[in-house]
Amino acid sequence: MGRYIARRLLLLIPILFGVVTVTFLIMYVIPGDPVLSLVGERYDEETLDRLRGELGLDRPLAIRYVDYLGRVARLDLGRSFVTGRPVMETIRERFPRTLTLAGAAMFIAVAGGLAAGVVAGSGRVPWAGKTLMALTLIGVSIPVFWLGLLLIQLFAIKLDILPPSGYGGGSVRYLILPALTLSFASMATVARVTRAGFLDAGSEDFVRTARAKGLGERAVMGKHVFRNALIPVVTIVGTDFGSYLGGSVLTESIFGWPGLGRLIVQSILRRDFPVIQGAVLFMAILFVLVNLVVDISYGFIDPRIRGEGAKG
Amino acid sequence: MIRRLLSITAPLISALLILSCGGGKGPDALRLALETEPTNLDPAFAVDYSSGWVSSLIHSNLVRFEPDGSLVPDAASGWSISGDGLEYVFRVGGSRFSDGSAVTAVDVERSLMRLIDPSTASPRWWVLEPVVGAPAWHAGRGDRPGIEARDDSTLVIRLSSPAAHFLSLLAMPAAGIVSPRAADSLGRDYGRMPVGSGPWRLASWTSGDDLILERNPFAKSAGQGPPRIEIRLIPETMTRIAEFEVGNLDILEIPPAELELWRAAGVRLLRSPELRIVYIGLNNGKPPFDDPRVRRALNMAVDVDMIIGQLLFGAAQRATGIVPEGLRQSPLPEPLYRYDPEGARRLLAEAGYPDGFSMEIWQRENPESGRVLESVQAFLARAGVEVRIVTREWSAFKQAVDRGTPDAFYLDWYADYPDAGNFLVPLFHSGNRGGGGNRSGFADSAVDSILDLASVEGDPAQRWKLYEEAEERVMEAAPWIFLWFPVRYEVVSHRLEGYEIPVIFNGQRFTGVTLR
Repeated sequence: MGRYIARRLLLLIPILFGVVTVTFLIMYVIPGDPVLSLVGERYDEETLDRLRGELGLDRPLAIRYVDYLGRVARLDLGRSFVTGRPVMETIRERFPRTLTLAGAAMFIAVAGGLAAGVVAGSGRVPWAGKTLMALTLIGVSIPVFWLGLLLIQLFAIKLDILPPSGYGGGSVRYLILPALTLSFASMATVARVTRAGFLDAGSEDFVRTARAKGLGERAVMGKHVFRNALIPVVTIVGTDFGSYLGGSVLTESIFGWPGLGRLIVQSILRRDFPVIQGAVLFMAILFVLVNLVVDISYGFIDPRIRGEGAKG
Repeated sequence: MIRRLLSITAPLISALLILSCGGGKGPDALRLALETEPTNLDPAFAVDYSSGWVSSLIHSNLVRFEPDGSLVPDAASGWSISGDGLEYVFRVGGSRFSDGSAVTAVDVERSLMRLIDPSTASPRWWVLEPVVGAPAWHAGRGDRPGIEARDDSTLVIRLSSPAAHFLSLLAMPAAGIVSPRAADSLGRDYGRMPVGSGPWRLASWTSGDDLILERNPFAKSAGQGPPRIEIRLIPETMTRIAEFEVGNLDILEIPPAELELWRAAGVRLLRSPELRIVYIGLNNGKPPFDDPRVRRALNMAVDVDMIIGQLLFGAAQRATGIVPEGLRQSPLPEPLYRYDPEGARRLLAEAGYPDGFSMEIWQRENPESGRVLESVQAFLARAGVEVRIVTREWSAFKQAVDRGTPDAFYLDWYADYPDAGNFLVPLFHSGNRGGGGNRSGFADSAVDSILDLASVEGDPAQRWKLYEEAEERVMEAAPWIFLWFPVRYEVVSHRLEGYEIPVIFNGQRFTGVTLR
């Protein structure tokens, strides 16, 4: 297991190298000049040239690239072209908020999704199962933007029990609506996959064996069926969580949540290269790490996978 | 299993619900919202609307705008202008920076010199362009420009030629007076920790979330206005509306599409025509748009009044001239181009395009411009002109337009200061082609010389006559498809009193408002 993790971590290096290179090149290929977002509506060429010089944009691409690689290796992500703030500082400020939102959304998705999936999959309450599955269909297809506005309308305006938007200095009240909005699609997927897992596992030989050897229904469901249904759920949760950590642009915009997603979009619109590159790199690292954790967790859920991992 | 899941989640959910009830709202703060976050509160680098707006609350200038657009003393207690209009003498005194130190004429001199200093690399140095020697100094050569503190309370500024709008330039956010000591010690970080002598000082700035301003106890206006201003950063229009509806905001701008709803609700709406013109710039250097007949025909082919009525719900005034009504000394002229698709076809045939032609109109990503351009597209199709709408995001759009790539582009122009010249000169003087503001590449030597004359004319009535003459010539040459001047609508909370929409964006400093 240790060697497996070490190997996966080593793999990070070529991946990150690729990410740095691709983002760097994309930035310089797409149209739009970063200095134009620094000068406002009225400017002269001389000012543009001076700013290009200030920002080092007048140097050849290859030199800038090598220079950037060198700085990344020293963990220096540079300063924002637009605000002049160190990129690392900005990410450090934004990431905890994104993490909070992603964590809360994932919690709701897993708790709600598993509960709904188990109810629907166990088939004990047929009408509830059918209703839940219809709801999950809505859940996977409802646009985040619309859902967010509906929730604001209901909880903030009609019922007046939650604030419509904002960060509120980290208060839980402000977290509920964006987390619920962000979790909705994942929750629905988790519910559907859990239900499918329950139905599939229910007809497996090992379940029949468990019942035949006289295990109680609760033990059969909990120990055998549930654990087997969990594998695809972990995959979904891992992938979704990884992408939530990169910030969720729509949810963050609707709720004015000051996370990474909005930062990245604003930076792209302003061609703020250092921030875009830094944030993308940071996201890539997180995504790879989350996937690694997911892969490792398979082993704990299913010993057969652990064996393969150890062999590899 | 179900029971176990419920037993975990139920207490958590109820805890969240308990936490969600109640909660305080800042009753003593004026609560405002911005769509985009300021990037830099340093006057030398505040180029976007949000930065300039907040920076103006924190910094004072020698002179400033009142909400009605008039100029009043700010850090200067008074001034005199020499008979030839070349020398301005300001009396400085009585105001303090938010760190408690006095604002002296020497501080103002250093602050203004900082703006034109080449090492500052401010994109807004041109605000001081009329100052004698400033352009050369900014280019890194020449003698010291004509900004000089004679003593602690007297500042003298000399101009290279009379500039009637010079005081207005001094009231722009870029000419805000920074504490030279803070600017020196903070360097690039000044933009996040500004020290000005304006009515407010920055208490906190949570990136992406909000900015809190509190009264500057050392300001001339100390004690006026609410104790604090909370500026929330809310990118979505619908969310801002929701925040206002639940009572979390004191001022809300109403987008045109929502106007009918608010009117029907019987809410008192504040209305203010903006100092802004919306237009479709035609690439005057590129055939067929180099032919004035073609450009006139395009103006005749679009029913601007219909678009204003149907798509903007009346929240605009048709641009039958270029200078908005609030800056005119005479009413807007009668429309020179009336909607006449047949006439447009005839004019196009006369210009050698009996079968019309096809063209691209570029726009930046924006739902409103999308709707407008689709309707323009339909109108032009009736005159035989086939339009392809090209959408780019802002940075790419701006780059292409400034390079003169597109056939035509949908754009607007905001006044930097309330002056007719701030529309005509940047937009139509041939010296400002491209990034200077004249993005349609219009060039007419007669217009240039009229505008040059106007900018040195001291007599306002005479000056306006010249501007009117230039405007008439431009309207006839039709370098654009002239669209409209937007009208801004706002609604304010019941507790807010004494607020009015400022004519120019940095004209409202909130010292005259009260909260009940």
